[in-house]
This record gives sequence, C-alpha cells and structure tokens, in this order.
Amino acid sequence: MSAPDHRPGLIARLYTSYGLAAPVAVLLFVLFLSAPLLPGKFWIHVSTEILILGLFAMSFNLLYGYMGQISFGHAAFFGIGAYATAMLFVALKAPGGDIGVVQFLLALTVGPPVAAVAALIVGFFCVRLTGIYFAMLSLAFGELLFYIVFSWYSFTKGDDGIQGLLPPPFFQDPVNFYYLTLAIVTVALLVMWRITESPFGYIMRTLRDNQRRAAFLGINVRLHMLANFVIAGSFAGLAGALWGPFSRSVNPGLLGWQESGIAVFMTLIGGAGTFVGPMVGAVIYTFLQAVVKMYTVYWPLTIGTIILLIVLFAPGGVLGIIDKRIKARRGEAAAAAVEKR
Amino acid sequence: MAAILEVTNLHKHFGGIHVTRDVNFSMDEGEQSAIIGPNGAGKSTLMNLLTGYHRCDAGKVVFEGRDITNRPPHQIARMGISRAFQVSSIFAKMTVAENVRSAVHAQMRQTFNIFGVASRIGGDETGRVLALCGLDGKRDIVAGELAQGDKKRLELAVALAGKPRLLFLDEPTAGMSIDEARGTMELVDQLNRELGLTVLFTEHDMGIVFNHARKLTLLHRGVIVVQGTPAEVRANETAQKVYLGEHQL
Repeated sequence: MSAPDHRPGLIARLYTSYGLAAPVAVLLFVLFLSAPLLPGKFWIHVSTEILILGLFAMSFNLLYGYMGQISFGHAAFFGIGAYATAMLFVALKAPGGDIGVVQFLLALTVGPPVAAVAALIVGFFCVRLTGIYFAMLSLAFGELLFYIVFSWYSFTKGDDGIQGLLPPPFFQDPVNFYYLTLAIVTVALLVMWRITESPFGYIMRTLRDNQRRAAFLGINVRLHMLANFVIAGSFAGLAGALWGPFSRSVNPGLLGWQESGIAVFMTLIGGAGTFVGPMVGAVIYTFLQAVVKMYTVYWPLTIGTIILLIVLFAPGGVLGIIDKRIKARRGEAAAAAVEKR
Repeated sequence: MAAILEVTNLHKHFGGIHVTRDVNFSMDEGEQSAIIGPNGAGKSTLMNLLTGYHRCDAGKVVFEGRDITNRPPHQIARMGISRAFQVSSIFAKMTVAENVRSAVHAQMRQTFNIFGVASRIGGDETGRVLALCGLDGKRDIVAGELAQGDKKRLELAVALAGKPRLLFLDEPTAGMSIDEARGTMELVDQLNRELGLTVLFTEHDMGIVFNHARKLTLLHRGVIVVQGTPAEVRANETAQKVYLGEHQL
C-alpha cells in the first residue's frame, strides 16, 4: 500500500519558495480585504491608520532593514508629503464646497515627488555618514524641517496646521476611503517589493553588510545610498499624502521625531529582517494602541514595555521569532525523517 | 610584454610614521608576483594605496596607461582591478550565491536596475564563478556561517566575479588548512595561466611565495629592499637579514 500523499498547503508552499514574507503578505491582504466586515466604523478607522502607518514604516525599513542605516528624521518626508498634498488640496478645492474626485487624486500624487526632492537635499548630506552619525544628522534635519513648518505661519499655518481636508463625498464614506487606501498601499508595496528584489535591492543589502567590500566591487556607495534615501522618502511622502484626507488635517507634529519614532517602533516590533515585518508591526502597534487607550491613559508606558521586551528577548521582532520557530521545527522534522529511514 | 601597472615614488605617512617611502615597481601583463616582508613592513598599506582605500601623499600609480592615483575604490574597481582582503571581507548576512551575484551585477553595471529580478540576472556567470571556486555546493548557505577557509574562497569568488585584469590578494591563504591553501593557490595559478590574469599577492608563508610567485618584492619598513626572482631574493644577503631581524635601515 502506498503512503498517503501529504501535499503541503498553500501557506507552507509559499514559505518554502519565498520565505516568511510571502505567506504573511497573503494573510495580511486577506485580513485587510475583510476588515470592513468588522462591526462599527471604529475598526475601519483603525485599519486605515494601520495601512498608512504601515506604508510609512516599510519606507523607513528600506533604510534600516535593507541599507543598515537608522534614520530618526524619516517623518520629515511623511510630513512634507502630507503638507504638499494638503496645500494642493486646499488650492484645488472649490471655495466653500467639496473637492472633486480628479482634483483629490491629483492632490494625492503630489506628495511623493515633493518628499523625494526634500529627501534628495537631506540625503545629499546624510549619506556622507554612517551609523550613529547618520542617525543624528537625519534627526537634526527632521527637527530643522519640523521647526520651519512650525514657524512659517504665512505658508504652513504654523502650529494651527491645515484643517478641513474633507475628501470628495464618495470617499467621505470610511469604507470607500479604506478601500482606496488599501488599493494605493497595495500597489505601493508591490512596487517596493519589486525594488527590494531587484539588483538595486541586493546592492542595498551589500551596503548594509559591508560598505568597504561593496566599494571594491565598483559600487559608488554614496550615490546608491542617496538613491535609496530618495526612494524611501518618496514612499514616506505617499503615506503622508494619504494621512491628510484620512485625518482631515495636517500639523507640524507629523514631521517631528515622535512620528519618526513610530516607524522605528513598528519596524522593531514586526521585524526588520522580513519585507512585511514593519506592516505586521503597524498592525500590532495600532491595534494595541486602540485597545489600550480604551482602558488606560498609560499607552506610552505600555508601548515602552513592549519595545523593551522585544529588544531584550526578540531582536528579530515578531516575525523573527516565528521564522526561527518554523525553521527549528522543520529542522527537527527533517532529522526525525532521516532517523526513521 | 607591456606593463599593466606602474608605481612611481609612492609615499604615505600616518603622522610621523612613514609607512611607504619612494616605492617603485611595475608589473607586466600576465605576471604573478608577491610582496613579502615582516609584519608592519607596509604590504597591506601598499595594497590600500594601489586600490584607493588610502590616499597617497606623493607618487603615481598608473594602470593600463591611465593614472589612477588617489581615485576612489569604486572607480579603480570599475577599471578592472579587484582585491581580496587579509581578513575575509564578505557580505555576512547574504547567501554565498547572493554575494557572488551582487558582484556580477556590479560588473554588468546593473546596480541601478530597480525593476529587474535580481535572481534572473547574471545567473550563468554566478554559477560559473561559484563552480570555479568550488562553492557551487554551498550557494544557499548564509556567508557568515561558512568556515574560515570557505569565507576566504568566497572572497576570492567575489573578487573574480568583477572580471578583473589585475587581482590583488592580501594573504589569500590566511586561516586556511594546508589542503585549502594548496587548492586556493592552485586556483590562482590556473587563473593566471589560463586566463592571463595578472596577480599580485602578499603572503607570510614562504613556501607558498616561492612556489607560486615568479617575481618577488621585499618590503621592509615601507622601503623596497630587494626585487627579483625567487632564487635571486632567496640568495640575497639583505633579504636574509631582514627576515632574521638583523637588518637596520
């Protein structure tokens, strides 16, 4: 009698072929598609926030996980994308009326290129340094840009921010806006994934591991770092562009170090070593924040404790732990099969 | 035969210490030479100067008729010079195949290609280099988990993937077993003999030096003391004194 055919399931096959990122991405996509089935508008709101901040965290991970440099000023590009969209949004909006769908979509497209130009200027200086110096310079530029937006009242409305960014009537429905966000974030992440799997993406990994060796392969280290900085900045700008119409306003805090810290937290929680790690981190962070704030005002204490535990006991993040356990179990299974034979 | 590398009056000091002084030598195309000298003689610094890692204070380096003095390492590498380091310098978190493939992409000028699929570009060349260096059975192993000898071979593979015309090897057999060292040097000989690759290496093991180099340059305290064939250097009284520690400059 022949042995029964134990064909692995789709998730197991995806894991074997593409690693942990593929099955997690499929699961996340199914979850995001079905999120509007949850009762009430609150969870739609939370899910939209997860998608936008997840995209922001994943753009940060292009610098941290792929290029090996930590930026504490990445929110500057998120904020600049948000402000660029908000300003065009206000300019295109009919006085006293709603913005049209075409004008709304046009306003969304301006965030990434404006953020990219800002990233080009900031990156020109930052990529001359590495490690802690890169981190500190990015923080300095982030705070500089925050202060400019905060102080330049005639242009940015200063501390008041820009209010009343109400999307067109069709997208004022939370479910419709959620699906628009899901579509844009999905396309953006597919493009981002393609970049990370391209020769350029692998050159980023060489820069993360050993910049000196990379230079001796003929790679212009600074130029490649700058290109990645601009790419990461433009994705952060796209996330920022979505943020304004989502929260109906923008304010200088979007450019500040605390906003940059959110991307760092999400990446650490989910895991920088896997493509979708920061998105998993965004799910955990935003969901927890929503739940914890229902019961206590001690959210900063809660997230601080979580980060402490992650850094101490799971430096690879949640996906790092899962990947390790799967590999260990597969290793044990393979050893048992050999022993059985 | 035409000179592929000409080094003239090369000088470098760190503070008050002169690590190379008026170094002059040339290499012909297809030559396989070694730079020898005791610890601190300036061998690695000389390689760093030739490959742009350190800036020269004075002097000139000409490769294939082009002045490459003080050019940045990536430009020198693109001109056709590769190197391997004394302490293996690889991409530790990437697999063996990814290490070599990235070097192949750099050679193919694909490093700014953001929409191609990396695993589908340069696969044949990657396979050829891995097979040449005896690493094809280890292609999916993460480089940082390799044994020391394999790391050195991987570094050689990464250097070769750049299709160099001049290869600098800084202590290519350091940390290897006797068999691994023999295999590596046989590979270097093969590359030199069959592909005409010009090779300059430093080495502490005199057995390897005398068996595999056709020309030797003895460096001592940054100064070239003797140059010649292995037989000439072996018979040279100054060279013997340098290695016995009696020579004072």
